Amino acid sequence: MNLLDMIFLAFSNLWRTKLRTLLTTLGVIIGIGALTSMVSFGTGMQKNITDTFESNDLFTSITVTSKKVDLDEIVSGNVGEMTEALNRESTPLTDSILQAIRDLDGVELAYPNMEFPVRLNLLGDSSSTRLQALPAGIAKHKPFTELLAGSFFENDSANVIVLREEILSKLNIKLYKEGKRNVLSKQDSAKGVKLMHADSIIGRTIDIASISLNPSKVPNAFFSMLRDKPEMPFDETITTLEISGILKRAGQFGSNMFSGGAIIPAGTAQKIPKLEFSSVWDILDNKNQKGTYGSIHIRLKDMKKMDEVKASLDAMDVGTFSIADQLDDIKRAFLVFDSILGAIGAIALIVAGLGIINTMVMTILERTREIGIMKAIGGSEKEIKMIFFVEAGVIGFVGAIFGLLLGWLVTRVANVVMNAQILPEGVDPVNLFYFPVWLIMGAIAFSILISLAAAMYPASRAARIDPVRALRHD
Amino acid sequence: MALIQTINLSKTYRKGKLEIHALKNASCEIEPGDFVSIVGKSGSGKSTLLNLIGGLDRASSGSIVFGGNDLRQLSKSEMANHRRFSVGMIFQSFNLIQSRNALENVELALTFGGVSRGKRKPRATELLTKVGLEERLTHVPDELSGGETQRVAIARALANNPKVLLADEPTGNLDSETSNEIIDLLIDLNKNHGITIIMVTHDLETAEKVSNLILKLKDGEIIEKLEKREAE
Repeated sequence: MNLLDMIFLAFSNLWRTKLRTLLTTLGVIIGIGALTSMVSFGTGMQKNITDTFESNDLFTSITVTSKKVDLDEIVSGNVGEMTEALNRESTPLTDSILQAIRDLDGVELAYPNMEFPVRLNLLGDSSSTRLQALPAGIAKHKPFTELLAGSFFENDSANVIVLREEILSKLNIKLYKEGKRNVLSKQDSAKGVKLMHADSIIGRTIDIASISLNPSKVPNAFFSMLRDKPEMPFDETITTLEISGILKRAGQFGSNMFSGGAIIPAGTAQKIPKLEFSSVWDILDNKNQKGTYGSIHIRLKDMKKMDEVKASLDAMDVGTFSIADQLDDIKRAFLVFDSILGAIGAIALIVAGLGIINTMVMTILERTREIGIMKAIGGSEKEIKMIFFVEAGVIGFVGAIFGLLLGWLVTRVANVVMNAQILPEGVDPVNLFYFPVWLIMGAIAFSILISLAAAMYPASRAARIDPVRALRHD
Repeated sequence: MALIQTINLSKTYRKGKLEIHALKNASCEIEPGDFVSIVGKSGSGKSTLLNLIGGLDRASSGSIVFGGNDLRQLSKSEMANHRRFSVGMIFQSFNLIQSRNALENVELALTFGGVSRGKRKPRATELLTKVGLEERLTHVPDELSGGETQRVAIARALANNPKVLLADEPTGNLDSETSNEIIDLLIDLNKNHGITIIMVTHDLETAEKVSNLILKLKDGEIIEKLEKREAE
């Protein structure tokens, strides 16, 4: 009797007891469904996060800081170590350091981090945000290659601005999207929200209000404190720029890593009067002298250059931070997360395995005489055992296929519900669940394995049945 | 050389502390082409002897040589092969698989015999036609009469061309007319197809009519051997 014969025999035997087979298989289906939907949530989270890193080109970027801060020291929570880390003697990030970094082999782009608060004014609506100044060279790097409309600037001193999609809603603009319901709600209309094509925004001018410190006003400001209407020691400057492009919304995972609402060329930013700090701490921290930068961003030509460049940076005695360093930790954390989810699902599958044992023991009691007959007409112990193993294997396989289907359906529904709950309106839905090939194959293999393990005792019991007694059995 | 030779064959069962000697020092020789009847009262050891020859059971002592092989020395899988190819068995209670029709019951034996998928159905049909059931191929046992059911069992027993057909009271559940038909079928298989038949029966009259060797058993011992070999 070959395997194919046994598979046919198994199917016909299982078909004879349809209801029982169905119920037993249902146990496996639910087990596999629970297991795969759980694990697919873990893998989905991991995929979303790594995809976001990937799409933002974080694996080729390094941030250089003046202080050598060891993340572990801060995370460990030891106050002494933290204080020591923060007060450690640092190398100021000067222009000469910047130039030295630019000259390193493997560095494609190095630019100081420059962000300052502004108020944007477009079509009568305004919103405050932070303006990020970037070199034109960044244009060919992700995520700056992903534009909804228009183009990124190619010139460091062009009088243009690139808006992020996120800022538009704050400016009361709703983008017209192909294939979506492009209707303004009542609340939107009341607020004066405008429905616009992304293309129609390109080429328009936008007013940028920035503030700068006016030293001559400081004494007046001091006296004005005593009066009813205090006068602040700041000047407000309006700069008008042309909108050259709209950047696509960043991934839902880690979108807050990019705080600026708009981007302007680095050269243009220098011409705009502004406060030379982006937070109060910059003023209080007197080490941040004029002519030095808080941090420098580096884009590498290739991910493989990471170690080489980091070694050179270490030699310069500056601090470095890269997501790539954290990747192993992230992967390890997800392995634990996935294992916990998997274990919960596996419990369901083990319960299903007990169901299989129960069903098969019952079946053997019922089919004792039949087993005797099979032995009498020449069935060997090995064949009888195999017949029961194949029956269990078929339950495991069919259960896995439909279990995967169930898991997939459940995750589809959960995805819709969760997207509706957590995402703001107008954002493209995210796939929170992910079924990689290894999960599908693994689920099938695991299901068959559990089923075979469950059949071990019943099958060997069936094989050992004494045919003489079995033939007398009623 | 004898086809089957048993020397001092014994079988002892244990039932708790009790030892039951189902068969004691049974010695006999069966030649190819014999029609052997084993007669005796219930519990005399008839079926035990048949089961030992059929390889369903193993002897406690003595030897049983079948076609030159000592059955006591065969491994489990060799014993399965013996049941599969050397002997065919039929029973008083027919022992067909109730959920399978006549064709499928015969095909199952062919499957164990390693007959390829495509050849099973024609071969099973041929066997069932041979026993006169060409019209009843797709009937399940419940839809067949006792005689028809036993014919299906005979067809199944013959599936892998055994040399010997072992029949354990094949007519015990049948009326006399149907019994005669089954006996006639066995005689036909013996006379015209050269199949050695060993039949357990209560019915001494039939045994005397059809067999050339009668083994009378009492309390597990062969008490009488009646041979008509020369007369035939």
